[in-house]
Amino acid sequence: MTSYRLDRGGAINRAQALTFTFDGRSYKGFQGDTLASALLANDQMLMGRSFKYHRPRGPVTAGSAEPNALMTIGSGPRAEPNARATMVELHQGLVASSQNRWPSLRYDIGAVNSLLSPFLGAGFYYKTFMWPAAFWEKIYEPLIRRAAGLGKLVLEADPDRYEKAWAHCDLLVVGAGPAGLMAALVAGRAGLRVILADESLSAGGSLLSENVSVGGMRAADFARTLAEELASLPNVTLMARTTVFGWYDDMVFGAVERVQKHVASPSPELPVERLWRIAAKRAILATGAEERPLVFGGNDRPGVMTATAARSYLNRYGVAIGGKVAIFTNGGSGYRTAADLTACGVEVTAVIDARPQSIDVAPAGIRVIRNAGVIGTKGRHRIEGLLLDRSGFEEVVGCDALAMSGGWSPIVHLMCQRGEKPVWSEEKQSFLAPDVGPAFTPVGSAAGLQTVSDCLRDGAARAMAMSAALGFAAHAAEIPDVEGEYDAAFAPVWYVPGAKDKAFVDFQNDVAVADLGIAQREGFRHIEHTKRYTTAGMATDQGKLGNVNTSGIVAAMRGVSPAEIGTTTFRPFYTPVSFGALAGVARGEHAAPSRISPLHGWAKKNGASFVEAGLWYRSAWFARDGEKTWRESVDREVATVRAHAGLCDVSTLGKIEIFGAGAAEFLDRVYCNGFLRLPVGKARYGLMLREDGIVFDDGTTSRLGDNHYVMTTTTAYAAEVMSHLELCAQTFWPELDVRFVSVSDQWAQMSLAGPKARLIMSRVVQDDLSDAAFPFLAARAVTLRGGLKARLFRISFSGELAYELAVPAGYGEAVADAIMEAGREDGVCAYGVEALNVLRIEKGFVTHNELDGRTTADDVGLGRMMAMQKPDFIGKRLSTRFGLTAADRLQMVGLKPVEPHKEIHAGAHLLKDQAKPSLANDQGYVSSACFSPTLGSFIALAMLKSGRERIGERIVVWDALRGAEVPVDVCSPVFVDPETVKLHL
Amino acid sequence: MTLHLLHRHVLEDHLAGFETSPNPNHVSVVRRPVILSVLAHGDLEAFAGRLAAFSTMSARFCGPGEWLVVGSAAGADELTDRLGEVAGLSVCDQSDGKVVMAISGPSVRKILAKCVAVDLHQDVFAEGEGANMLCCHVACHLARTGADAFEIIVPRSFAGSVFEELMEMGREYALTASFAQS
Repeated sequence: MTSYRLDRGGAINRAQALTFTFDGRSYKGFQGDTLASALLANDQMLMGRSFKYHRPRGPVTAGSAEPNALMTIGSGPRAEPNARATMVELHQGLVASSQNRWPSLRYDIGAVNSLLSPFLGAGFYYKTFMWPAAFWEKIYEPLIRRAAGLGKLVLEADPDRYEKAWAHCDLLVVGAGPAGLMAALVAGRAGLRVILADESLSAGGSLLSENVSVGGMRAADFARTLAEELASLPNVTLMARTTVFGWYDDMVFGAVERVQKHVASPSPELPVERLWRIAAKRAILATGAEERPLVFGGNDRPGVMTATAARSYLNRYGVAIGGKVAIFTNGGSGYRTAADLTACGVEVTAVIDARPQSIDVAPAGIRVIRNAGVIGTKGRHRIEGLLLDRSGFEEVVGCDALAMSGGWSPIVHLMCQRGEKPVWSEEKQSFLAPDVGPAFTPVGSAAGLQTVSDCLRDGAARAMAMSAALGFAAHAAEIPDVEGEYDAAFAPVWYVPGAKDKAFVDFQNDVAVADLGIAQREGFRHIEHTKRYTTAGMATDQGKLGNVNTSGIVAAMRGVSPAEIGTTTFRPFYTPVSFGALAGVARGEHAAPSRISPLHGWAKKNGASFVEAGLWYRSAWFARDGEKTWRESVDREVATVRAHAGLCDVSTLGKIEIFGAGAAEFLDRVYCNGFLRLPVGKARYGLMLREDGIVFDDGTTSRLGDNHYVMTTTTAYAAEVMSHLELCAQTFWPELDVRFVSVSDQWAQMSLAGPKARLIMSRVVQDDLSDAAFPFLAARAVTLRGGLKARLFRISFSGELAYELAVPAGYGEAVADAIMEAGREDGVCAYGVEALNVLRIEKGFVTHNELDGRTTADDVGLGRMMAMQKPDFIGKRLSTRFGLTAADRLQMVGLKPVEPHKEIHAGAHLLKDQAKPSLANDQGYVSSACFSPTLGSFIALAMLKSGRERIGERIVVWDALRGAEVPVDVCSPVFVDPETVKLHL
Repeated sequence: MTLHLLHRHVLEDHLAGFETSPNPNHVSVVRRPVILSVLAHGDLEAFAGRLAAFSTMSARFCGPGEWLVVGSAAGADELTDRLGEVAGLSVCDQSDGKVVMAISGPSVRKILAKCVAVDLHQDVFAEGEGANMLCCHVACHLARTGADAFEIIVPRSFAGSVFEELMEMGREYALTASFAQS
């Protein structure tokens, strides 16, 4: 037996056995195990294959930084690749599979890469697969991707729920180790709203893995006592299984809570993961420190792991990582590991110390070899022995596990995510957190401290200071005595010379020291370039173990201090976050909120097909039995409107109510045409320009009272126009008394258009609608038969006699039904936005197809609307600049194909007759196009160079996308009723 | 010809099928609320006090000189008239343009933490306070009406979306919903 479960010890519940499978084989573990600890307890050290060379790998850590023991958890659509076995909580029935191997983890064909490894060093791909160029995308890259890799993504839809939530606090403590617990306790007792987040299932951090006593208790018991007191405080929130992964602007932290990742079958009432955004006034970084691996030949052999990991498996999970453990160290951690293992009856074969001397003492009877280095390891799927070198004297030491300690690196990622770089400390031989201001500070090991008692003290002191800064009176906490702690000081060893095998600096990406050398030789010397060239620090672990060693080794290669090399850039996320958590409930049709018109139900029962217009769902056309294409429906709707009448939902247009004695003057300034003398009870079409003289939006504004107007905007620009009005009122002309409120949602608005519109509307509205009593552009309150108050506007977007009726939204459906009923005998139909579009193109009315942010009023034929005699209006000054008045600007014209049934598409370009199709010969473009059932021809509106003087000319519509050239005649953009007789019927 | 027009609440379809006996965490939708936009002209500061004097309605602050006045039993016309007596106010009916969802229960803050980004702790967002904010990605007005009770005023066209998401967020707390009894 090599690695095995101890009879006692650890925070596992031996009474609660759990069965699980790994690669189809069944194993037993205990409640409290991680997948990694349970596998080790079953003597399963081999847990994965490396990324590039497919080398056999076992766990290097017992925690979050794990680069090797990546597995796929679960099956079917719930399968999650690249889960770290060291972080996966064991549960009954858990299914785990190894990755990046074929046919099996033990016998992996891909391992042939390892034999080719002399050729596969850094930059190999870039240099080798260069020719022919086309091969890279089609052949080389897919092949390389097949050979190198991590887990496979599941392509089935994720069946689970995810959520996003916000939390707010005075103090966020990241990490519930000794420093974090103490900080949270001091701040919590002082009355601060505290959130204490930790990625583990239980609070304690290193206290759960260290064999010390705190306040007369076992460290783990002490941690539990503290956590219990914290849980009892109403102002403290403990967030277990929650990884704070990012620090963002305004002290907002991102965190992901694994709500149901540890259960066999997740409850549908709960999310599996919850993404938190935590807004904190202050934050404390209590993330601890990572133990550095040592970089020596064969350091990736399964069974080689950090000394902390060995102690964690031993003290927290009751697992001995081997039956004969060797230790390779440059500091106190190795000696502590030897002591802990010995105390549990595990044989320690030797402590190999890289330092010539130290004050550390190994347990009695353990051989200590000083001033020595490991230069190779033996064994295939597990280490069987190591080769050490002592001043040229080589010796083989037998072992079945090797615990290594290369010193400590504070985990400072979060504090470095907003641009600040970590700072090298010569004294600590570590990169320390930068000073990011008083709102966020590191404590304990994250601040470079090493002993448990220092961490407790530091956590309490920092929390006191932060409480005081927030105006809370905190009391000094009693710092409990710590017994049995050790001196974790170390002397840095970046690289152990004389390696007989690859010495890995980044396990996950298979980057060895030699690769770093190649990068330096080839000029990729900046640490960011070294990273890109070698891939050191990339992929799912983002170099948590390797980055500091990479900097240290590059520094040593260059003969400078690591301070000069620095580190690569830290970015969120600290650990991988699932897309599910980032999306929350915003999936599929819920990706964005939807807006439903008050006439949606009416449209639905009349057979509408809907089109998404921004967030709105608008009725596009109303198919009737026998109509096979949308065009048939639209043609019929248009013809019905022109011959009889049609009802269209226009509720989605923006509606803004305007009040104030200054409203008339205000409107006169925001519109380019005149509004001062608009009488009460009348509507007027208005055109708004931007400051630069380009058209912004159009719509009608009606005067309902002396100081009361209602404005309509286009559907798309409703919000923009509202902001524009507020900007103008608040900042340009604060002296004008004018107020606005959006009433877009208050009114169901419907347009009844067609020669029979008056007849039908009169059956619904009790007021006199004769042309004399309610003429074109009349706009006022009316009463429906039965008493409902409504607003009626005689405006038209089709060129036909038309009314827009606005009723309170809740009555919309009933009123639309009533109009349909009232007009049934006269042939009224429902028509959608497609028919609306055809009707307005036929009449030459513009929409944002024409008002596309490039056109002036004159370009679209509305130049005469510009009331230049007004003292000022928005856009007046810049509308006269040369570029906007040049004679060769594109002007709106109509187009009719020579052969009526030749289709024209919007977006196609215009050419002179006989001109060669090329952009050099470009004469403009088609802005809107449709089939006109009224004319029996395709027609279009187009922007044509000097268009208005070219009416009658034959040109060509060039549709390069569809490979079509259609000869067309340039004509007036008003195709029907050019004398505008129908509007005044 | 006299028309008999049926008034339809936008959540009519969404609320069908929900259980009738409310759980402790419950959304109550007012079928015919009275909601008025009130806009002040002139000295904006002076108006807040004057609005507070109306006891049958609550004025929800939306911005400088802008409130939503939510009425209880009284009709819109009567409220409009009473507000009309205050000089310098413009009043605009929004009763059909807004949907009022009253959410209450012991877990209400935990549910709303998934819907709004604003801190709803009692010390920060006390009873009687309200503000415009995004709720379920939609610009809404949220007011605290009790220790564990809030009212969300949602634009009508978005109400279905907001309601569905609110209910989804309340799932783990067995949130129920119905139209208010009155």
